Amino acid sequence: MVEKLEKLLVVKDINKSYVGVQALDKVNLSINRGEIRCLVGENGSGKSTLIKIISGVVKPDEGEIIINGKKFRNLHAIDSISEGIQVIYQDLSLFPNLSIAENISLNQIIEKKKRLINWKEIRDIAERELCNINKKLDLDERVENISIANKQLVAICRALTQDAKLIIMDEPTTAITKSEINRLFSVILGLKKKGISTLFVSHKLSEVLHISEKVTVIRDGKLVGVYNTEELDYDTLSFYMSGKKIVDTVFNYQEKEKQKEPLLEVKNLSKKSNFQNINFKVRSGEIIGITGILGSGRTELALSLFGLNKPDSGEIYIDGKLVKIKSPRDAIELGLSYLPEDRLNQGLFIKQSIGNNIVITILQRLLNRFKMFDNNKKYETAKEWVKDLNVITPSLETVAQALSGGNQQRVVIAKWLATLPKIFILDCPTVGIDIASKSNIHNIIKELANKGIGIIIISDEIPEIIRNCNRIILLREGRIVKKVNTDEMTEDKLLDILARKSN
Amino acid sequence: MLKNNRSSKIRKLLKKNELYLFLVIIAYSLFITSINSSFLSLENMFDLGKSSAGMGIMAIGVFIVLLSGGIDISFTAIAISGQYIAARVLIASGVDNIIFAFLISCLVGVALGAINGLLISYYKIPTLITTLGTASIFHGALLTIVGTKAINSAQLPDCFKIFGAKDLFILTKPNGVNYGLSIFIIMFIVLALLTWLILKYTMLGRGIYAIGGDINSAVRSGFNVAKNQLFIYCYVGFLAGIAGVLHISLIRYSNPTYLVGTELSVIAAVVLGGTRITGGSGTIIGTIMGVAMVTILNNSLILVGLSSYWHNFFVGLIIIISVCITSYQSKRSIGNIIFR
Repeated sequence: MVEKLEKLLVVKDINKSYVGVQALDKVNLSINRGEIRCLVGENGSGKSTLIKIISGVVKPDEGEIIINGKKFRNLHAIDSISEGIQVIYQDLSLFPNLSIAENISLNQIIEKKKRLINWKEIRDIAERELCNINKKLDLDERVENISIANKQLVAICRALTQDAKLIIMDEPTTAITKSEINRLFSVILGLKKKGISTLFVSHKLSEVLHISEKVTVIRDGKLVGVYNTEELDYDTLSFYMSGKKIVDTVFNYQEKEKQKEPLLEVKNLSKKSNFQNINFKVRSGEIIGITGILGSGRTELALSLFGLNKPDSGEIYIDGKLVKIKSPRDAIELGLSYLPEDRLNQGLFIKQSIGNNIVITILQRLLNRFKMFDNNKKYETAKEWVKDLNVITPSLETVAQALSGGNQQRVVIAKWLATLPKIFILDCPTVGIDIASKSNIHNIIKELANKGIGIIIISDEIPEIIRNCNRIILLREGRIVKKVNTDEMTEDKLLDILARKSN
Repeated sequence: MLKNNRSSKIRKLLKKNELYLFLVIIAYSLFITSINSSFLSLENMFDLGKSSAGMGIMAIGVFIVLLSGGIDISFTAIAISGQYIAARVLIASGVDNIIFAFLISCLVGVALGAINGLLISYYKIPTLITTLGTASIFHGALLTIVGTKAINSAQLPDCFKIFGAKDLFILTKPNGVNYGLSIFIIMFIVLALLTWLILKYTMLGRGIYAIGGDINSAVRSGFNVAKNQLFIYCYVGFLAGIAGVLHISLIRYSNPTYLVGTELSVIAAVVLGGTRITGGSGTIIGTIMGVAMVTILNNSLILVGLSSYWHNFFVGLIIIISVCITSYQSKRSIGNIIFR
């Protein structure tokens, strides 16, 4: 009897197919009270379908769902919520314009079917739940003004107001910093003590693994297995997830011939409350990694090099010549390219065809002698890049939206390579991309370096930096704290330096 | 701690657009008074209040639509429909009663508002397109079905005239001229208060904020978004109905082509009052001040000796300036978030 109650959620032999595609094939999952579990799988592996089935949004074709010992034939969203299952989606579903107090409490008030608002009650509920997770926040602050990590805590508090027994968090650590992740983990561990289970859903080999007790891996809609976290390391897990052995080679930089001038040199670049006194050089064929936590000024620095964030002082030299970069247009003309972190909003015209996306940076070059747009030239150019970078797509007319993350990123890379850059800045080039595509993109980057392009990779994924760069620049609070050659560095050492500030 | 608390309160106050708008209104009023001393007199204030009450009531409606992330440009067509139909019914039936007039006008308003609301909530048509279309339909239907003939002062039922002259109390100037606080102003204040109460203390009101903040989150949280939207557009219709009656009582004349065309300056007043055009944020106090600013501007140009044609020019200018300031502020605060 007691044994049975230990199990909070049991999902047995779930089958689900959408028109012709088997999204889930006999998947099992069982979670104990107070357990911290991780569900990993690449994009399209069926993770989100499984979550939707557990939360009652999607009906399985076959299989059993047992929550709190109750068997549900036909699980509705309301049943799932009243049994204490709460999903925190990646977008958090908060109201940016409302106060923290309201964001935490409104759901409960709605559930009670109240018509009038008692502000004291709203504040009391919010205060109680924040206290529950040992956190102090200004109840009256609007949610749009707080950090993503705090927004996440607000969402957790909201889930707690509805008697959550299992909190499912979708990709919780993609947008928050190391120290914030630690804070989130301490909250999760606190909930565990109260008997509340957590299920992390992720397609990244990320920090969530560290605090999960067990990891469920699914691939192509099938259960690969359930593993104790201690048994797993990066390579075995990526093998389970992708089904392929990924060989990542370390990048070795050899200066081909003596270069007189570096491709890019930055001297004493400063911008108030962004970064201070930044000095570094990039030589032809080098891959420089810039890392630091969110807020260390890494992206701001990149934006300044690309003419999107005017620095207060300092100099930028390209090929030894002092240059002024006032706009992206200037930057492109000087041979700079910038791949933004936010691929969907900043990198692509998501509703436009792949062909149009690739040629957008070089429209000038596609004009014929009457200064009219030459569609054949466009087609040829785009086709070449799609072939060169292995973009898998049915045609050039396919809209960018329809591609997987990895293919989308290759389109963005193609679009910038089309400008024939001398210096390529890549801001988090593999964020949200599955492992196989990731290593493919890394190989593309290394090949580019071998062709003599100077490359800057900005990333907070330490393995990415270590395996792909020949030199590393560490930023903290807008200042360079360390410049090292990669061969003098290990992952652990790097993590250690990065974490030092955080407390 | 206490001191800290107080200083953070002051900082919050300084962040509010309302404060700056208030200071601008005061400064401008003082400037106008220095040119024409009669401007800041109680009589002129009462007069301004009375003539702008109708616009103010429509502005309240626009305010809650904007708050919910929508926009309504059909409310002037609704107001004139309510007004003209009410006047026609009163004349035809011989019932000379202002309550009856309000009843008809508001009924027409709510019915037309419900059409907007249904189209928007059930068919999920963008609010701008919906109300652009219905504004045309409502006004066109009024002109073709009900008529185009103006109702002049002689034909107008007495109840409108009596209501239009009703003051709550009367004061006498030293030169013997009487002036008073019009009941229009009281109605405006009551409706503003009612709206404030709905927004602040009912789930319906919080739902309007929630929808304006993030409509998908509102659905996931369990708000009945469709019902909420239906309410919003009916309420706008209701307010437009009231504004229609105030308008006819003020000018003692009804022409079914009036009012339509003034919707943009009402929306402008609301935006000027700090309500975000993208939804989710704004206050009723701000809306009232926005209306006050536009009214004062309108009234003062003549006092300063400028043609009233300058009115549009200045309203536009003020809006652009105020939006620039807001945009600048939010740009700065985004910078702050990154480096917190």
